[in-house]
Amino acid sequence: MASVVSETAFAPMVCLEGLVKTRSQSESVFELEVPGFTVQPGQMVAVIGESGCGKSTLLDIIALVMTPSAVARFEIANGAAGMVSDVAALWANDDEDALTALRRDAFGYVLQTGGLLPFLSVRQNICLPARIKGRRLSQARVEGLAKSLGLAGCLDRMPVSLSIGQRQRAAIARALAHQPRLLLADEPTAAVDKARARSIMDDMQRLAREESVAVVVVTHDVELIVDRADAAYTFETVQLSEQHSRSICRPAEGLCP
Amino acid sequence: MSCANPLKHIPALAASHLKHEWILTFCLVIALAAVIAPLLVLLGLKYGTIQTLRERLVEDPIFREIRPSQTREFSPQWFDELQSWPGIGFVTPTILPLSSVISVVASGGRNSELFDLIPTAAGDPLLLENGGVVPTDGEVVLSAEAARRSAVAPGDEITVKVTRSRGGRPEHVEERLRVVSILSPRAGSLARVYAPLAFVLDVEGYKEGYAAPSRGWPGDTPQPYPSFDGALLLMPKPMLPIARSGLIINTGFGRIVDGSAKDAAELLGFPVPEELTVYNLLAPGAPVTITNLRAIEQKLRGQTGVLLPYVRGLDMAVDGSRTAPIGLSIDERQAELLGIHSTPWGRFGGTLPENGQLVHVLWPAATPTTATEIAVRAVGVAELDFPLRVAGSTSLSRPVVPVELLGVLRTATQRPIVFNPATDHFEMARGGYRGFRLYARSIDDVPALYHRLKSEGIEVIAEVEAIERIQVLDRGLSRLFWLIALLGLFGSTAVLVSSLYAAVERRRRDLGVLRLLGFARRHVFFFPIAQGIMIAALGLMLGFGGYAALAQVINHAFASELAPGEAFCTLPAQYLPIFCLATLVLATLASLVAAWRATGIDPAEVIREQ
Ligand SMILES: Nc1ncnc2c1ncn2[C@@H]1O[C@H](COP(=O)(O)OP(=O)(O)OP(=O)(O)O)[C@@H](O)[C@H]1O
Ligand SMILES: [Mg+2]
Repeated sequence: MASVVSETAFAPMVCLEGLVKTRSQSESVFELEVPGFTVQPGQMVAVIGESGCGKSTLLDIIALVMTPSAVARFEIANGAAGMVSDVAALWANDDEDALTALRRDAFGYVLQTGGLLPFLSVRQNICLPARIKGRRLSQARVEGLAKSLGLAGCLDRMPVSLSIGQRQRAAIARALAHQPRLLLADEPTAAVDKARARSIMDDMQRLAREESVAVVVVTHDVELIVDRADAAYTFETVQLSEQHSRSICRPAEGLCP
Repeated sequence: MSCANPLKHIPALAASHLKHEWILTFCLVIALAAVIAPLLVLLGLKYGTIQTLRERLVEDPIFREIRPSQTREFSPQWFDELQSWPGIGFVTPTILPLSSVISVVASGGRNSELFDLIPTAAGDPLLLENGGVVPTDGEVVLSAEAARRSAVAPGDEITVKVTRSRGGRPEHVEERLRVVSILSPRAGSLARVYAPLAFVLDVEGYKEGYAAPSRGWPGDTPQPYPSFDGALLLMPKPMLPIARSGLIINTGFGRIVDGSAKDAAELLGFPVPEELTVYNLLAPGAPVTITNLRAIEQKLRGQTGVLLPYVRGLDMAVDGSRTAPIGLSIDERQAELLGIHSTPWGRFGGTLPENGQLVHVLWPAATPTTATEIAVRAVGVAELDFPLRVAGSTSLSRPVVPVELLGVLRTATQRPIVFNPATDHFEMARGGYRGFRLYARSIDDVPALYHRLKSEGIEVIAEVEAIERIQVLDRGLSRLFWLIALLGLFGSTAVLVSSLYAAVERRRRDLGVLRLLGFARRHVFFFPIAQGIMIAALGLMLGFGGYAALAQVINHAFASELAPGEAFCTLPAQYLPIFCLATLVLATLASLVAAWRATGIDPAEVIREQ
């Protein structure tokens, strides 16, 4: 592991430089370029863009479930102070176990539609990430999280019996319960109405701040993240040919302080 | 990095999943149990019926018995050899059925009953496995029927009466014996008395006229009879043709041939006076016996003449050299006619010379000897050694012995004869036994022994068919079981493979989420395997439950046909772990396809899937 862990004075949570991801299906080619993407610890970063510009692709790469086609630098802060894991090297070595372990230890993930396991109760869903990390969650923490997300009465119900919004909040609880350092959320509010979306976004922001968790949230709704995000990235799409499109991810000017 | 072991959470997650989809799980379990239960019942039926049939055979020694179906002679050496055959449990010689009837009176009882006397010996399964003990000398064991008819109980004494008729007079001896046990009726329905072989042989000997000195039973010692090749009749005058042709009628002789003094000298070994008329009496195809010779002497009564039996071509070594002694037994009157000395053992009569004179010899005076005993080895059925005692000298050129001795030695070329130095008598060697009682070690040994005896030309009877029928049935049922098991195996494996595979396909997204939450490929690999094992375990439980219920019903339904402790449908305990293990291994193998499929799930693909 020594080769993939190096010490820096002030390690960002996520540091991406010179990333290229090419996705092609039959004739059509989609190219995602990310010259630079940084998430500082405790920061909330918004990724904004219209449909099909590569937001989910970027998030999957950060979530370590998709391999970059090329990357100059890809580091994720390790638990220990100042230590970073060299993800680029891990991918190069195809060290799936290390990537999985890093994901298990450091990340929480909220899917577009929650992604709760339907065969576990809400409580079991929330406890699962901690358990597979080898930790036990105190019931107080579970109850506390549930209460702060308005899920107090839903803990022992199965996900099918929850509303879409409740499921989404349960997914947030699950993503945060095991105290990750980075929360990834891919359009967590896509399936709910605006008012509810706002409250979900508020909850997430509040909890992330309380727990000092860095957040990367993907959305196409600019309104939702104005005033909330510490930084924002957006996409610039170039249609190279009829079949070939390129999307470049850059920091969004003027959206955030 | 934490030392978490996500793998240990897989079984619980797999179980939760099965519980969540309990209807599908239940159907799968039922499908498996529907294969397992009938297979178990089938296996139980096969095992149970075969076991019941086998035990019925195994329990009763009758099924291990191999009996000769015809009476013939079996030499003691044959029995020695038989003992070394593999698969022999017990064997004892037996006697002629006719010689084995004895009359038995219970002490205090009046009625005498005729029972069959059967020899036994240590280890006799017929006795030991039918509630009896093996009797020692002075003891007997009775069959149930014999005990019923003579009304005796174990511990009682019985009197055994052995009868014979000798010389037209009835004779009998009695022996008191103690009944040590009575066999269960299963051992046979005939009235039988089981006694040690030695006693049975003494009874046989007594019935044949012989004595049993150790029991104080009187009778002959089994002396061999002399036999001859022919006889010479020497007459001072030729006979009338009518007397000549009438001489041999009804005597057992077939032909009477005119001979010369030269012929006589050649046959007898010494010259006879030229003036005597020589007739050669022959019985072609049969030995000449004392009875034949007596009949001739009867006819010659009142006439002058000498009847001299002769033996030809005897092979023997006297004092180490191959000489044929002259056989001669004549009195003074006969000696006078022949112009030689008489013999001290007298003339040829109806019996063998007594007082050891049978082995007396007159040594040629031309080659005097100081020895009193001369060793002889005669070649017969077996080599026969005996001493000749020098009783005088003779003017003849070769040693002279009683002609009866040559007759005995001739018999020895046809039947085994031994010389008993204690009594100075020749005795018929025990020729052999007239049958045997044989039990194989186990019923599985019976067919091989049966066929081996048959291949030796011994006609035997055994329950080979019953045993082979069971073996054939066992093989057939085993084949049937494996065929059906194979069919069930294919079916249930296909069901498991497809169901588990479908479950993985159905739950792709969930498995992807598990990957996202931090399970590696190798962890989700075990998700379907855990499910396969759980379903198999549940199926086994339900299957065993179904089997137990059905077995109960089957055994209950056939209860009237079964002895207590017997069951038509039963499985030995050691089958169960094997069966369970086989099922679980199979379930694991069946889930491998699904497991491989699960490892192929890419979380990036599924997290966007709806
Ligand atoms: N397997 C694939 N092969 C080729 N192109 C793909 C593949 N998957 C996605 N793409 C393309 O990549 C582009 C980016 O997809 P992505 O899912 O990242 O978009 P997105 O920004 O998340 O859109 P949305 O807002 O609708 O979720 C799209 O144009 C899509 O057509
Ligand atoms: Mg998307």
